[in-house]
Amino acid sequence: MPTIVVASPKGGAGKSTTAVLLGTELARGGVDVTMLDCDPNRSLSLWAERADLPDRISVQSDVGESGIVRTIKAFDADGQVVIVDLEGVASRLVSRAISQADLVLTPMRATTLDATIGARALELIAEEEEALDREIPHAVVFTMTKAIQSKQHKGIEASLRGQGIDVIDPPLMERAAFSGIFAFGGDLHSMPPQGNMDSARANARAFAMEVYKRLTGEV
Amino acid sequence: MTQDDPFGIALNTGKLKSRPKDASPKAEAQSDAVAEKHGFVDRAPRKKRGRKPSPRTGQVHAKVMPEVSKEIAREARMRGVQQGVLIEEAWALYKADKELD
Ligand SMILES: Nc1ncnc2c1ncn2[C@@H]1O[C@H](COP(=O)(O)OP(=O)(O)OP(=O)(O)O)[C@@H](O)[C@H]1O
Ligand SMILES: [Mg+2]
Repeated sequence: MPTIVVASPKGGAGKSTTAVLLGTELARGGVDVTMLDCDPNRSLSLWAERADLPDRISVQSDVGESGIVRTIKAFDADGQVVIVDLEGVASRLVSRAISQADLVLTPMRATTLDATIGARALELIAEEEEALDREIPHAVVFTMTKAIQSKQHKGIEASLRGQGIDVIDPPLMERAAFSGIFAFGGDLHSMPPQGNMDSARANARAFAMEVYKRLTGEV
Repeated sequence: MTQDDPFGIALNTGKLKSRPKDASPKAEAQSDAVAEKHGFVDRAPRKKRGRKPSPRTGQVHAKVMPEVSKEIAREARMRGVQQGVLIEEAWALYKADKELD
């Protein structure tokens, strides 16, 4: 199954949130999703324990450096999706996961710090492509975006696009529902309403649709 | 599209094709080398060094009142024995008292 690796060595960039929103939206769309929790802080596993898992989603906890390649291989089949959530550090585990990815997503907040540290993931991907002689599709997703985009946001986005980097539109907006999903577990449809749920659902769905298009080669 | 969500995204899972990826030890080594160069290093938790703790199968974990605990600790220290020795002795007395065995 196509494997999506969510990677940025920057802590708190929005990796786990991106992974959960993407996984739950794809599952809602009828896709079987396996989530691999590779973060020793176990964000995804904690989310999974908060409430009943949505249909079509399973979570594998405690996947480490020595088991990552094997584990991805074990779940890699057509018609389904594997989503890998990593710790916000520069580790060999990150690079091994990227080596097995069909798509790497690098979430970043529109801050210079997130962009600078996030860029380390992009450099790593570029060189892995060379070493493994394989194209590794990748894209940046802005997270915690404000309704009115700052100058800084526009500047960082323009710079990335200028370097030929794929930036996913829409970004994931800053929303109470998106942080609430970890407190309540489940998905945007099962959790008690936090803020404007219709907008949150529409945002997550549109984002997931863009990722799906990249997996099927429609973008 | 799911019935309870008329605006849900309709996805064609048939289009989700996995591409071939090299999972050989050689590819892993190549990936590791690139990682090393970019400062993405081994952060797997280290195995504890030194002698392995001896197996404590069937170990008794007695929770007692703080005062009792202090008295047992003091007595054991004084006699230079493990606290477990005192518990063994106490157990022997208990059994004798109840005429167990
Ligand atoms: N779009 C968003 N709207 C509101 N809150 C968000 C959003 N994205 C992330 N957050 C919040 O920001 C914090 C960090 O997000 P998250 O845990 O997803 O980052 P991470 O990259 O996985 O962090 P780590 O590197 O520690 O694994 C969390 O408290 C999360 O709830
Ligand atoms: Mg995380």
